[in-house]
Amino acid sequence: MSFLQPLLLAALPLIALPILIHLVNQRRYQTMPWGAMIFLLAANRLSRGFARLRQWLILAARTLVVAGLIFALARPLASGWLGLAAGSRADTTIILLDRSPSMSAISSGGVSTKLDAGKRHLAETLEKLGSDHWVLIDSATARPVELQSPQALLNAPETEPVGASANLPAMLRAAYQYMQSNQTGRTDIWICSDMRKHDWDAEGGQWPAIRESFVDLPQSVRFYLLAFPQESQENTSLRVTNVRRKQTDQGATLIVSLNITRNGATEEPKTVPVEFDIDGARSTIDIEMNGSTHELKNHEIPLGANQVQGWGRVAIPADSNNLDNEFFFVFDQPPVRKTLLVADEPQEGRALRLAAEIAAEADSQNVVELSSPSQLSSIAWEEIGLVLWQAPLPDGEEAKLLQSFVESDGRVILFPPQSPGSNSFYDLSWGRWNETPEDVIVGNWRGDADLLAHTQSGAALPVGELKFHKTCEIVGEMTPLATLSNGEVLLGRVPTAHGGVYALATTTADSDSSLATDGVVLYVMVQRALSEGCERLGQVRQKVAGTIEGDSSDWKRLTGAELALSNQYAYHSGVFSVDEKLLALNRATAEDATRALSDGKISELFDGLDLVQIDNRVGESSSLVQEIWRMFLIAMLVALIAEAFLCLPKIRSAERALA
Amino acid sequence: MANGSSSRTFLDPAVLARLSAVPLFSRRPMQGSVSGRHPSPHRGSSVEFAEYRRYVQGDDLRRVDWRAFGRTERYYVKEFEADTNLRCCVVLDTSGSMGFGSKEINKIEYAKRLAGTLAYLAVQQGDAVGLSCVAGKMVSNLPPRRNPAHLSAIFDVLEQATPEGETQLVPILHELAESISQRAMIVILSDFFLPTEELSDCFEHLRFRKHDISVFQLLDPAELAFEFQRPTRFLDMEGGAPIFADPAEITERYHQALATFLADFKKMMLRSAIDYHRVSIDESYEKVLMNLLAGRHQARRVR
Repeated sequence: MSFLQPLLLAALPLIALPILIHLVNQRRYQTMPWGAMIFLLAANRLSRGFARLRQWLILAARTLVVAGLIFALARPLASGWLGLAAGSRADTTIILLDRSPSMSAISSGGVSTKLDAGKRHLAETLEKLGSDHWVLIDSATARPVELQSPQALLNAPETEPVGASANLPAMLRAAYQYMQSNQTGRTDIWICSDMRKHDWDAEGGQWPAIRESFVDLPQSVRFYLLAFPQESQENTSLRVTNVRRKQTDQGATLIVSLNITRNGATEEPKTVPVEFDIDGARSTIDIEMNGSTHELKNHEIPLGANQVQGWGRVAIPADSNNLDNEFFFVFDQPPVRKTLLVADEPQEGRALRLAAEIAAEADSQNVVELSSPSQLSSIAWEEIGLVLWQAPLPDGEEAKLLQSFVESDGRVILFPPQSPGSNSFYDLSWGRWNETPEDVIVGNWRGDADLLAHTQSGAALPVGELKFHKTCEIVGEMTPLATLSNGEVLLGRVPTAHGGVYALATTTADSDSSLATDGVVLYVMVQRALSEGCERLGQVRQKVAGTIEGDSSDWKRLTGAELALSNQYAYHSGVFSVDEKLLALNRATAEDATRALSDGKISELFDGLDLVQIDNRVGESSSLVQEIWRMFLIAMLVALIAEAFLCLPKIRSAERALA
Repeated sequence: MANGSSSRTFLDPAVLARLSAVPLFSRRPMQGSVSGRHPSPHRGSSVEFAEYRRYVQGDDLRRVDWRAFGRTERYYVKEFEADTNLRCCVVLDTSGSMGFGSKEINKIEYAKRLAGTLAYLAVQQGDAVGLSCVAGKMVSNLPPRRNPAHLSAIFDVLEQATPEGETQLVPILHELAESISQRAMIVILSDFFLPTEELSDCFEHLRFRKHDISVFQLLDPAELAFEFQRPTRFLDMEGGAPIFADPAEITERYHQALATFLADFKKMMLRSAIDYHRVSIDESYEKVLMNLLAGRHQARRVR
């Protein structure tokens, strides 16, 4: 049990007052010579059972009266979980608010979204519990913002729903840093989330460090997890999977592919009207859904003959989660995908050139430019998407140019030269060549992400079929993407803030590997790196909300994010004009997954920390905490009445005694 | 009344004068030594006819009822009741508890008034009066005598009687039952704060000895009401251990114990055919004595 006025509990010793008065009264006796002692002795012998109990009951009732009054004045709060939250008022209350799209869902039986319900409950609860400081860390910015009062949660722009996913570990780190830098006292950290696995990244390696950092804090920290793990009501979500502009004889056509997914009663046929909005021109088609998913492939929308670039929005009618009912995209003529191949021996780079030059899509154009390390200064870097480097690692000015390219989101794949030098690039250098008499195959590789990820259909790349005879040792810190059966790293990614630097431990030469012979893996690797590198090219960009850093104040909104502040555009879904380029932001793919963390996993994440979990439903209108002083007042009155009844003298008379 | 009447505070001449008009009768035949007002177990020469008896040789011929001979041709002798005096033994409890009095008078003073007045009345009508003061032992014992000088001695003893010590009423009553050789009227003045089972035996003993027993149970109004507000430490007036009690806690049970005792005591009195008077000492003692005298007078008339 918790109290709004805990200081008044200091008056609790007053409950001993009736006992003290009783004792004092006992001391204030009179002395009386008495003859009829025989009756007093008999009365003492009769002093058993209820007669003696009555005295104790009266004393207990009087004690209860005082206790009831003190407790009522201390304004007790009640709820099952709050019994654990006993204690004094927190010095600082930090609120971690999950604003991700999944929090905009309405649970079964609810009328408001999880985010709204969470904000309302938090505002009411924190107002009652009280604190000296309130700090909000929202999931979009993960920056601490001081609040005047908990009621500010209801209207603050930092609490509105966004398209960006939450990153709970990052939010907890921000809370930790705030506590460290501000030297807070006793701190309560309230987390309001729908417990989606994607937001919590429970399998990530940062949780142990977070746990340890909080455990090591000198001040007392208590976590309150206001969780909304329930799935939403029947909900339909929309996601555009592909958009491309196609030039035809009659003009231009926009080809859109999309997925519609629904949960709940998935067996019933349902007609979903899908609205397309291309640069303000709207059209609608009805889609008949018979299962839980429907894929619309290559839906053609005619464009004006001269319309080369533009934006679009696809939407379905409102349901229990409005943030997954629309998707934004931009389109443009595909840019020339240019690869820079830097090789000492042109013959060695032939396979690489082929892999980079053959376009994956019919309407895109791939170009490969050959160069030597000494000619780098004359390269038009702003047109390059990928650099394939099969030469000794650059040094001096060349290294600076290449580093600058990486920092501007370019991609580089490094191949070992025949004679590895001592140069290093991003702390990476080549070791010595190893030649094995027998073929070496790949032991394991990461199929979930990056260059060797499975295809969109889920099929694995044939990495295991590759054979290697000669590999060069990669020296330096990196993330292995593929490891040979002998334990050596075949492909690794160097950690960089921007762009991507990969190192492959062999070449495409037939004497070294079967990469060229079994060219699928090489081709996919190169094309994926090229696609990522070319995203910085062209006039349009398609991104996940919340992944773009920097100030968005000078962005111009074209559609979506109607209520968002301009400095928050980067976290909202919509289309924006940024430096004359179009930018479409949407929710992450993982936001469509509805799997929530189990209670066991939550306990594991907060192992060793003081956690109180409050599972709540959106439909629950009752407050998390309730003042129950009335109950204590009633208890006091009941005790008063009981005491009065117990003290009532029995009717008797001296005459009756004489009779 | 004898000399020194000014110091006999327990005697009120006006009360004595009023009560003198009513004679004191015994309820049972007495074996007195002289003629008096009380019935005797023997036949005598009073005017009150008792019975006819067959003439036996040696009877005085003057007592033969010739009229009866005329009707039946048998000799009958006419017998009459004998009247004698009584021996009144007053037993006064002088134990500590008799010193209790919540108002202007305590129980011993009240008992002295009763005893003194009763002794005076008895002597006035020619009966013998004795006095036994009883506490932890027989404090003083004056055998019954009927001369006025003895009355003065009784008054002296009454004056000097002070309440102290514990009560040993039961063995002393047994002793008196044995020591009083002839039938007597025994008047016991006490609060009788003793177990009724023990008292029952001694009353049965007295009754077996054919004594006419009168009991005055003296109770103070405060003992009956037991109305205290504050916790009280009760000191035993007979020297026992004090008792601390909260009246709020104990009053009800006190009354319960008192009512049980009084009911048992009254039942015992009825069973033993004792002339029992429960007296609250705020009553007029004249009225109490008048009740005694009147009750006995009526009983004689019925006989």
